Amino acid sequence: MSELSLSQDAAPAQKPSRIRMALRKPGFMVGATIIGISTILALFPGVFAPYDPNFIDYTAVRQPPSWLHPFGTDLLGRDSFSRVIWAYSVNMQMAVLATIFALIIGVVIGALVGYYRGIADMIFGRVVDAIITFPFLVLVIAVVAVLGPGLVNMYIAITLVGWVYYARLMRAEVISQMGNDYASAGIVMGYSDLRIIFRHLLPNAITPIVVYWMTDMALAILLGSSLGYLGLGAQPPQAEWGVLIAEGRNFITTAWWLSLMPGIAIVLTGLGFSLIGDGIADLLRPRG
Amino acid sequence: MAGIQYTLNRLVLMIPTFLLVMIIIFLLVRLLPGDPAIAIAGDKASDADIAAIREKLGLNAPLLAQFWYFLTNTLQGDLGRSILLRAPVLDVILARLPTTIFLAVYAISLSILIAGPLAFLAAVNRGRWQDNLIRAVFQVGLSMPVFYIGLILLTFLAAQLRLFPVGGYGETFWDRMYHLFLPAVTVALYTSAILMRNLRAAIIEVLDAEYVQFARAKGLPSRLILGRHVLKNALISTVTLLGLSIGQLMSGTLVTETVFAVPGVGRLMLEAIFARDYPLIQGLTLTFAVLVSLVFLMTDLFQSWLDPRMRLS
Amino acid sequence: MKAAALAVGLAMSTALGAFTIGTADAVERGGTLNFARYDGSKLVDPIYADRNPDIWMVGSLFSTLLEPTADGTDLVGSLAESYEVSADGKTVSLVLRDGVKFSDGSPVTGEDVVFSLDRARNPDLGPWAGLLSAISSVSADSGNITISLENPDPALLSMLATFNTAIVSKKAFEAAPGATDQEKSAALFAKGGPGLGSGPFYLSGFEQGASMAFTANPHYWKQGEDGKPLPYIDGVNFQIIPDDATRVLKLTAGEVDIAEFIPFSRVAELDADPSINMNLFPSTRIIYSPINTREKRADGSPNPLADKRVRQAINYATNKEALIGLVLQGAGKPMSSPVMSSATRLAVDMSPLYGYDLEKAKALVAEAGLEPGTEVTLTTLAGSADDATIFAALQQMWQPIGINLVAEQVDGATRGAKNRSGEFDIHTYGWVDDVNDPSQVTGWLGYYPTRKAVGTGWNNADFNTLYEASSTEMDSEKRADQYKQMQEIYAEAAPLLFMYETPFAVAVSGKVDGYLQTPLGNNVFENVSLDR
Repeated sequence: MSELSLSQDAAPAQKPSRIRMALRKPGFMVGATIIGISTILALFPGVFAPYDPNFIDYTAVRQPPSWLHPFGTDLLGRDSFSRVIWAYSVNMQMAVLATIFALIIGVVIGALVGYYRGIADMIFGRVVDAIITFPFLVLVIAVVAVLGPGLVNMYIAITLVGWVYYARLMRAEVISQMGNDYASAGIVMGYSDLRIIFRHLLPNAITPIVVYWMTDMALAILLGSSLGYLGLGAQPPQAEWGVLIAEGRNFITTAWWLSLMPGIAIVLTGLGFSLIGDGIADLLRPRG
Repeated sequence: MAGIQYTLNRLVLMIPTFLLVMIIIFLLVRLLPGDPAIAIAGDKASDADIAAIREKLGLNAPLLAQFWYFLTNTLQGDLGRSILLRAPVLDVILARLPTTIFLAVYAISLSILIAGPLAFLAAVNRGRWQDNLIRAVFQVGLSMPVFYIGLILLTFLAAQLRLFPVGGYGETFWDRMYHLFLPAVTVALYTSAILMRNLRAAIIEVLDAEYVQFARAKGLPSRLILGRHVLKNALISTVTLLGLSIGQLMSGTLVTETVFAVPGVGRLMLEAIFARDYPLIQGLTLTFAVLVSLVFLMTDLFQSWLDPRMRLS
Repeated sequence: MKAAALAVGLAMSTALGAFTIGTADAVERGGTLNFARYDGSKLVDPIYADRNPDIWMVGSLFSTLLEPTADGTDLVGSLAESYEVSADGKTVSLVLRDGVKFSDGSPVTGEDVVFSLDRARNPDLGPWAGLLSAISSVSADSGNITISLENPDPALLSMLATFNTAIVSKKAFEAAPGATDQEKSAALFAKGGPGLGSGPFYLSGFEQGASMAFTANPHYWKQGEDGKPLPYIDGVNFQIIPDDATRVLKLTAGEVDIAEFIPFSRVAELDADPSINMNLFPSTRIIYSPINTREKRADGSPNPLADKRVRQAINYATNKEALIGLVLQGAGKPMSSPVMSSATRLAVDMSPLYGYDLEKAKALVAEAGLEPGTEVTLTTLAGSADDATIFAALQQMWQPIGINLVAEQVDGATRGAKNRSGEFDIHTYGWVDDVNDPSQVTGWLGYYPTRKAVGTGWNNADFNTLYEASSTEMDSEKRADQYKQMQEIYAEAAPLLFMYETPFAVAVSGKVDGYLQTPLGNNVFENVSLDR
């Protein structure tokens, strides 16, 4: 998206509001629309889903799509459309809960070690090195294996591994901000360390964190559904996209709709978050 | 001289990291729920059998002593015996590792082949439809879970159209290339999407750089400009990026091996986890860590060789 | 008891020949069978095989002295030509078949038999030694084998037809590198090992966790229909494909000839495919759920399931046919004997065993004074689609009798630990007989000293006494009666949720003839032939 912002750099000196700029970017708008709709579906699945997602009806097993069941029914006669819709609340929840704690922990630790440096920073450096030495998924599934499969344990596992990335980003930002005048001014003026960190450094350093967070939410959905597919994440009968794809997997040639629909939901939501992330990155990019 | 110094520094830094890695792996496995002795003995064993196994495995020793054994044994190349496969963990892993490395290298080559030309095409035509189309396609690719891509390829290209085999990994080199084509494409689609993005940005950066603009203004043939500046920049950025995404690549192979029934270490990891085969989980996690840090090291050295300024960090 | 002497020989090959009816005119020889497995063998050594993927392959590589007849109700000679049990039941004499050889052409001798049986009953080695604890000594005088027993054991003959007593080569073990028996075994079965077999095949290739190959034993003693030695095929190549969908794809794409463990949801679809024979082999596999019968739960709270009437009620409230429809797509049947599959010997057909009767269930819970909304936990296997379905169905079915079923998902090892410690209400479980005798499964499910009656804590003195008596009872009628009584006691006490029996679902390409999976699960390749 960078060239789009380039063209806007030529705009008149008067700065247009960020919101108005965002509206001009088709990518961002598409992303925002997708995530907006997804959020509504996630908050009120019952309003949009015609059936109870877990109701078993053994008289209507594996039916093809029809007006009654737009995505057909699954092996147990459950309505696939309702299950995909209800899964929105699980998967959107995943995007937030798998990332938010990592973000908070990472930002705080990153800011502290970036500000104080010294021995804590050295230890931090080794810990980061050690954790990023493991492939993300390998470490997450190893932690899930320890804690046992399930959504909550999956959130814990992703947080335990994921905070490092936020912390690393935050630390680098804080260190680069420290070189700026206002930080040294704060120190000269005798502000408390906490005030400098949280009132001055953090707000200025948060931009890349927010951008990364958007990408991370997309990744969390991908990761969460992969774990669900592998049997380590959300557990059936709970409706979750990865679980739904795994359930439909055996019928991919005979009842393709069972695994196609949740797949489309994953791709759309992931796309939504990435587009928003790109849009924000462009908007917040400091310009010369 | 400086290069050797740098390499040594880099290696020394790896020691504490590795100690931490070992601690993480050790703790992970000690915290596994379910008695590993029960996992070994199986459901039909008596309580006495289980007590005997606990004793034999040293599970009754203090935690620190257990860690010391784990550390010294690992350094001597003894990773214990797999419960699931009843063989030394090291042998089991070494038998499966070549398949995974083959798949990874195959996937990397494919991603370069896919991403390189497309990134160049997109960068040169920036803002035009070619650029937008290429980026849109990759954007969608990035939003697809690896298992889903694999599932689609498997169903349509292998099962329906019968263009490729459904699973297995072949005997000879070419046979293996053929068998592993779909798995490699599955992994490569994801990495190539990341690579394309960054490569495109790197090429644009060079094209916009003042010295290139200047050279252009001076009337130097564009082929020369591209060859000298763009390629070098693109190479550095490719190596860095591939090095950094080795973890993702490994994660991708783990899932892909499961979907395509490729008998590599990734599938083994999942089998080990489902079977609670804790020596094997330990050994595999360590293997992944070693692989990744080796790649990191190589990337670092290669980078510093290409661009000595980077050594300063 | 009268001495039972049986001469077997010719009768036996006709019995086995029955499997290949339909190809009688001209059996084609040669070709290699490609077989997709759900899980790999680790060590196909008779005495160390402890997981089904190992156990079920032993018979293809190593023959036992006796073997069950095709219908599983009787025993006939295999490597032994005849057997005889003494009047007091304490001596078994067998005569080795003339000219039986290992795959390298060396003869199978009495020494090999003594070595194999001594190995099998050594409690320091494999996990199955306990099944042979009645044996006090084994001796051989060339081809005449004498097994002396400390006490009569009605299951002993069945044990001689069981995988763990299969005959291995003493010479090969002595020549193998390694100090202990375990090391020698590992060396013999490792990749590139000599692969000496006494069965229809020998192990010719082994890639841990990925593939395995069997090659025909040219010296196998059984004759095919064409008068030449079995097996018809040159060998079997195994590929391990744990993923159900991929395994089926491999078969439909023609990359393998047989795919085992077909998910029941796909049986109908494969059955409709004219190029595939969808087999449902009868099995001894039962799916049931142990119920904690202790007065108190592990956390000290009162256990509503300690009341027999509540356990009976949940059994009545469970619609097994519906469950079979949902989980197995109809490819199964409700358990008809409470302690064993209907394919196990001495099983009493008590069907319908707790047939669906909601009114009776309601009356029983009312009589027991069960609080409506009582919470009961079902522990299931995480990642198991079947268990997820079972839970969802039971939750719906038990609601009307006032039980609020909640799920607890754990992995296999944790479930095993909970079963041992009694920290569960009800959990899913399954069983396949390893031995062609009811004593193993009955001991497992009901005899308290074995494993607290499959962890339920159910301890019934009458049942235990009957079980002990039956394990030395040589009179088959009396023994059958003891088993009948045990089954009646067990059914009434209902320490289990009795669920269903499932067959082995194996899809076989139309060009394959003669493949069989026995009720114990053993894969039998010796009569397989390929149309080429």
